This record gives sequence, C-alpha cells and structure tokens, in this order.
Amino acid sequence: MFMSVLTLTAALAVACSSNNCPLDNTVTCNYYFYDSNDNPISLYDTLTVSVLLPGHDTLYTYRIVGYPTITSKTRIDSLVSQGYKEVVSIIRHDSILINQVVNASHLELPMAYFNKADTLVFDYFNLRNNDTIYIDHDNMPQVNLPECGSYMFHRITGVKNTNAAIDKLEITNPNVNYERKENIRIHFAGTIE
Amino acid sequence: MNAKRTSGFTSLALLSSLILLLSVELHAQEPGERPKPTLYVVDSLNVEQKQTFFQGFTLSGDLFGLIQKYTSDYGVFEGALRVNFKNKYFPIVEAGYAICETTNEDTHISYETKAPYLRAGLDINMLKNKWQNNRLYLGARYGISKFNYDISGPEQTDKIWGVSQPFHFKDISTTAHWIEFIAGVQVKIWGNFHMGWSVRFKTAISKGSTDYGTPYYIPGYGTTTSGTCWGATYNLSFDLNWGRKKNKTMLNAVVHPVSPQSPPKQHRVEDEQTKEETE
Repeated sequence: MFMSVLTLTAALAVACSSNNCPLDNTVTCNYYFYDSNDNPISLYDTLTVSVLLPGHDTLYTYRIVGYPTITSKTRIDSLVSQGYKEVVSIIRHDSILINQVVNASHLELPMAYFNKADTLVFDYFNLRNNDTIYIDHDNMPQVNLPECGSYMFHRITGVKNTNAAIDKLEITNPNVNYERKENIRIHFAGTIE
Repeated sequence: MNAKRTSGFTSLALLSSLILLLSVELHAQEPGERPKPTLYVVDSLNVEQKQTFFQGFTLSGDLFGLIQKYTSDYGVFEGALRVNFKNKYFPIVEAGYAICETTNEDTHISYETKAPYLRAGLDINMLKNKWQNNRLYLGARYGISKFNYDISGPEQTDKIWGVSQPFHFKDISTTAHWIEFIAGVQVKIWGNFHMGWSVRFKTAISKGSTDYGTPYYIPGYGTTTSGTCWGATYNLSFDLNWGRKKNKTMLNAVVHPVSPQSPPKQHRVEDEQTKEETE
C-alpha cells in the first residue's frame, strides 16, 4: 500500500511539472495598417521607424556662403572667428527600430520597460514630413512560471499622433504581451478604393 | 362500460375468496374434533439494522502533503473533519497550511508563499454493503485560498532604452478558487483508526492572476503549469462516535406451521430493543 502511494506520488509529481514556456516570448506592441475606411492595407512607401530615447545632444552647425556646412557636437570657436554663422540646436537621442521597410502591413515594436510614455517617429521616404506617435502605457513585470523567466508586459492607456500621413490611431487591445495580437490600428489618410 | 367490467371482476373475486375461506373453515372444524393450536417453527431469521441518519464524526490528517513538503519545494499540513450520514454520505471540511519555496536554477527566479486554504465538499460511499469497515468513495470539493506571494529574480534590463531595475516584489495579494473530483478508498487498520488514499482531479475556477502574472503555486491546489492538475492524499483517520445515535434492530422471521397442509407464513417481528452498532 505504502509503495503504491509512493509510486503514485512520483507519477503525479512528473505530471504536474511539465514545461509550458511559450516558444515565442518576445513582447511587442503590434501596429496594423488600415485606410480611412477601415480596410487593411500595405504601405507602399519606404518607412523608417525610430524611437526617441531619454537624453539629448547639443549640435553646433556652421555655415558660410561658398563652403560646405560643418556640424559638430562641440563648439568650434575658430570657425566663428573665420566668419561662419553658428546655429545651436538640441538633438534628442533616438534609436532606429525599423529601417526602410517596404510594403509593410504591420509592425511589431518593443515598448519601454520603465517609462510610461513612448515617442515613435515614422519617417516616410516619399513624404517631406514625418509622423510622431505618442503612446502612454503602464508596465507590468511578469512571472508565470519560474522556469520561463521574467517578462515586462504593458497596458496601453492612451495614444496621440501627428497628421502628415496618419489619419488617426485606434487602440484595439490595450494588453501588450507575447500573444501577437493586434494592439493598435493606424488609419492612414485616404482609401484604397 | 369499463366500470361495469371492473365491478364484475370485483364481485367474482369476492365470491371466490368467500368459497375458499369456507372450505378452509370446513377443513379445520371437522365434526367432533376440537380445534388444536397451530405450532410454528422458525425457518429462517434475518436481522436487519435500520441505520440512524447520524453515524458520528471522523478526524483525519494527510500524510502525503507532509512527505511532499520534505521531498520537494512545496507541501501541505492538512486536516479534515468529516460527518457520517448513514455510512453513505460524508460531508467534509478540509483545512490546511501550504508552503512553497522554489528557485529555478536556470532563470534564478524565486517564488514563495505560505498560506492557509479551505476545502468543503461531499464523499459518497459507493460500496453496496455500507456496514463493512472498508469504504470506496467518490466525491467533490470546492476549494478557496486567499494568499500573498513573493517573486524575485535577476534585474530586468531594457536593452533599447538602456535601463535596468531590480526584480523583487513582495506580498502580492490574490485569491484563487477551484473544484476537485475525488476517488478514494479507506480501510480499517485498528479500532477506530482507518487509513486510505485518494486521487484528485483539480480544475481551477480562478487562478488569482494579478498584474504580476499567474501565481506559480496556489495553496491547496498545487502548481499552475496547466489548466488542470492531479493531486493525491494519504490519510490517517480516526472515527469519533460522539453524538452517534443507536441503530434500531428489526427481526425478519420466516416461520411455518408444523402441519404440512398449511403454507409457510412470514411474520415480521419488530423488536423495540435497540442494539448498539458493533462497529
């Protein structure tokens, strides 16, 4: 009797300890492209997406007629004395997330682990202006099974955008995790019809 | 039409019964013979015990959870109080205290909880003979646990934004509840002591998921690696006879007269004497 119970114990311990970690566990916010009439589309333009990071640089630009423009992150006094006109600007740090993608119908982009707002810049090859998307979100550290490690999930709380090519944004699923569901619809101006 | 036919049948039956009685009387009272008292002999004797509804309490402890505690990362200290109704129905309350302390060697994620839990339900004795000392039962439980847990691990690093923060969260509060289906046996080992085991199929109604994810271990339920889980108990139990009422004994005696002409008659003798259950 006792041996049978021990055998049963071992069998149950094995039955309850199988590994159920997800194979694809990259947490991304998934943006899908639509036209103004809610039809899914692919974007024919070449698109580059970058995200603004904390911190900035000071950029010094020197121009004089008849010579090439010079830019530097440090001030060059000698150029000023030579008659160059100095322009000082502040450049935000950024990181390119998607570089020159063509015919994209959706994007899978990471979100900041510890910031409550992300700023994405959509740079279109054939448009002079960029679009900027602002996404507010909460961050939720996650552990489901210790053997699977930890994740950072997010919950989208708000979105805003500029209107160079984008008409509006729509939150379809605020929960950002590794399930690959659509989170945000990007409606571009115009229709495919 | 039907009423007339029924009335005819009734009249016929009454008439034939009367003729039969007269013939029996005529045979019993022959002229010049005095009626003799009939002697009856007991042919067989069956003793039926009419069970009283309440049959006592049973206290039990789970040895499986104790063994599990000292051989794995988690285990329970569990006791139960069971009521016996007619040796068939056993309403039961199980209460315990569960401990889980685990750290994964690969991910270095730690999970810790220590909390009580409660289960309530019913077992039904499936054996035909309810009076024997062994029991085979099926049952169901509803379980609930309100508990806090801690999770910790290596700091999380956001590679794009270039920021790291510690991963350590204490006293995350949640409540989980679930249902269990049980099959088990119980055998008498000595006096009022019984021993037995049960196998339990558990399915969660709510795993108590929080903003930090689903708890890895729910006190009283087990690990949450899948939607359902199997469990087991190995119980040592003691029957308490406090408050148990005595059973009423019924005697069924089949008797027949010495005279071979008379058919055997069955008499039911109700013995108002009460007899205490021998178990």
